[in-house]
Amino acid sequence: MANEEEVKYNAFLEKVKRTVFVDELTPLASKSVLESAFNQFGTVEDVILVPNYLGPKEIPMGVLVVMQTEEKAKAILDTLSQFPFMVAGIPRPVRAKPAKPEMFADRPKEPSRRVLCRWIDPNDPDFENAKKIKRLVQKHTAEAAFVLKNQLDEAEKLATKQSETATAHHKKFEMMYKLFHDGVAEKLANRYNINMRSFPYR
Amino acid sequence: MEQAAESEDKQFKWGKKRVTGEEMKDVQFYESFTYGGSEYCLYDCVLIGDATKPDSSELYVGKIINLWEHNDQRENSRRVELLWFFKPSEVSLYVGVQDALANELFLASGTGVGLTNENRLEAICGKCNVLCISKDIRNPQPSDEEIKLADFLFYRTFDVGSRKILEKMDDKIAGVDVEFVFNRHNCEEKVSAVQKVATDVHGTADSLKPNPPSTSGSVRQNECKGSDFSGHRKSDYGYKKEKDNECHKQLAMKKSTVPEERANQDSGRRDGGLYFCIDSGSRRNDCHQKDQDSEAEKHSSKQTSRLAEERCSKDFYRLDDLSRKKRRVDGSVSVSDGREKLRLQEERYCFDDIPQKKRELDGSVAVSDGRPKKSQKIRHDGRKDIEPIRSPRDNVAGGELYSQKPSHTDKKQDLRIPRFSEGKGTKLATEKDYFKKPNSDCKSKLTEGKVLTDANYRRHYRVFEVTQKPDAEENKWYRDLPWEENVRCAEEQGNLVLLRNLDPTYTSKEVEDIVYSDLNEQCTARIIERTSATIPHIGEALVIFKTIDAAKRAIRRLYEGCLLLSNGRILVATNTKVNPPTKPPFQFSGHIKPRAQMRQKRTNAVATSHSSQTNSVGFEMGLDWVLYQDRCELTWKRIFEVNIDHH
Repeated sequence: MANEEEVKYNAFLEKVKRTVFVDELTPLASKSVLESAFNQFGTVEDVILVPNYLGPKEIPMGVLVVMQTEEKAKAILDTLSQFPFMVAGIPRPVRAKPAKPEMFADRPKEPSRRVLCRWIDPNDPDFENAKKIKRLVQKHTAEAAFVLKNQLDEAEKLATKQSETATAHHKKFEMMYKLFHDGVAEKLANRYNINMRSFPYR
Repeated sequence: MEQAAESEDKQFKWGKKRVTGEEMKDVQFYESFTYGGSEYCLYDCVLIGDATKPDSSELYVGKIINLWEHNDQRENSRRVELLWFFKPSEVSLYVGVQDALANELFLASGTGVGLTNENRLEAICGKCNVLCISKDIRNPQPSDEEIKLADFLFYRTFDVGSRKILEKMDDKIAGVDVEFVFNRHNCEEKVSAVQKVATDVHGTADSLKPNPPSTSGSVRQNECKGSDFSGHRKSDYGYKKEKDNECHKQLAMKKSTVPEERANQDSGRRDGGLYFCIDSGSRRNDCHQKDQDSEAEKHSSKQTSRLAEERCSKDFYRLDDLSRKKRRVDGSVSVSDGREKLRLQEERYCFDDIPQKKRELDGSVAVSDGRPKKSQKIRHDGRKDIEPIRSPRDNVAGGELYSQKPSHTDKKQDLRIPRFSEGKGTKLATEKDYFKKPNSDCKSKLTEGKVLTDANYRRHYRVFEVTQKPDAEENKWYRDLPWEENVRCAEEQGNLVLLRNLDPTYTSKEVEDIVYSDLNEQCTARIIERTSATIPHIGEALVIFKTIDAAKRAIRRLYEGCLLLSNGRILVATNTKVNPPTKPPFQFSGHIKPRAQMRQKRTNAVATSHSSQTNSVGFEMGLDWVLYQDRCELTWKRIFEVNIDHH
């Protein structure tokens, strides 16, 4: 029984090593999109979407990509740390990290681990400390939520800025396209004796 | 739906029949049955779900002391009678149990409501291993290994009458020889038990005894004599005429135990009021009989009672009638009256599926009977008298009310009618998975919570190890809802709780175990994955409690008390909401809409996943994002360093 548990747990650890945690993903990305995205690096065994139950819903989606071998997982990590890699949308790239056991909701129990616990007597001097710890936990959670919110705001700002830039670019290209299309560009080129072939946006 | 029912039938198989008299045409007793690959025998311990709370998986533990099936075409014809085990949390309302083991149970004993109950067989959710660790010499001592493997342990009993915890085991508990209560030597005992015949008239009723053939024979003879009564009643009646006895009271006690309980339950379920009607009828009938046959001997009465018991299960109404009859021997009414009542009763029996009307009718009948006080009184002090209460909790809680308001419990049962009368198929398909014993509504939640809290704090001030909770999920009878649906339901009902400050390495199962051991609640848990958007050192888990009360209780207890876990963590619980399941159709910030993009170059690139070329605008933008991500990461890192220092 214990042995079985161990085997199971070791198998799980091995799986964790083959897994990459990818986040900063759009929630619109589907499993198949992700699979095809990471198939570029090697065979994808499984893609596990990590549900976001508690955080603000703007949090980018995270997924666990289980590769067939550890090397492939490494390859993903290497590539993604060197180049911005975009999945199902640009320009926000995804981010990859080695997976940790805590990222799996259905992980098996650590073998032979025992959980001990006790209710603290209210008369115990530790009781006050315990209460403090509880408050601390609440505080940290609140802090984290605040930080997260800030980050999301920042992301939003960046996104707005970029979208403005993109719109400006877009307008520029639209104009160029139009100019080339109705022959205005050509006329102007002739007028100023510029060689059209060297023009970059043709 | 039908399919589900069919498949259930395929899986289900009765085991060996128990010897019964030939005249028992519409009830068949069994020693065992097989379902879903496991065999359930008499005296096995099983987990029972609560039918009134199908969405909850809190399970009760009972010992099978009787199995039978009705051959008539009624619904829920398979029945089981259970001797209850109480959890410490269930008895803590009445007695403070400070030294209870984490997985300790208390066997119901004594006499009173809640000792045993009849249930439909389908309420059984699965087997469980309950081990007796009593030092009693009659108890085969279990090995350490066995104790480790056991789901539950018990060595004490809870007297449902006096509401005390007792260490001593009587020779019989609810009519079951104590040897079946203790650990078993081997399976042969089972058989012998079944064949054993009651010897003690004063003893508790023993519904398990088969009917000796001789008795049944006489019954058949008597059937001929029976005049205008239908089948069983007839025979019963006739039989009694011949054999009836002076020691009515004793008999009454005996009979009333199991049969009445059963009868009450069933009648309650089908037609709450019928029960009263029968009562009144039987009273008369009873008198009638008494007049005629007061000479009978104890011996015969013994037999009668046994017979009665068997019949009982055959025909609840009649049984009930029987037992009542006996009890009310003293106050007599005219014979003819009795007959009329009996007939009336029969009619009721036929139409017992029209509950509402009938109930009213019955009520009036009962009143007209003119001796409600009497009956109540008897019931009250009748040692074996059992109200139609089916769950230990009910019993305990309803106890005080019961003598004043006999209809109270009936009502309660009525509440459960719809559940029980639902077809198997429906149940399989719609009800989540468990049948639970009803929880009494009449108990004051507040006080209960208080008592619970106190008792448990006291009990757990010392360090203890989290034990595995009995695996309720093993139940194969009903399908489990997927977590996702579960969580939405729980959120709606408010029994979803977020536990914080767990060790991030705990698994969902371990969280369930912790909740079970420390809070004595069954639950379903799911840990929240630690990702880049969560705090890495504070483990969180969503826990679905079975009831909103349980959830509130848990939150309160964790708020008021401090539960210290292995590595100095104090558990924190809060109510929580989860994000709606549908994907928000928002534009992911940082992804520019394809339409706003440059028509010529980018459109192709959007759909695919790629590393950006260094010469594109996208690359620059991407780099902006990478910078942002790095910034975030650094922030988190810094915060967590500080946090961990605090810890």
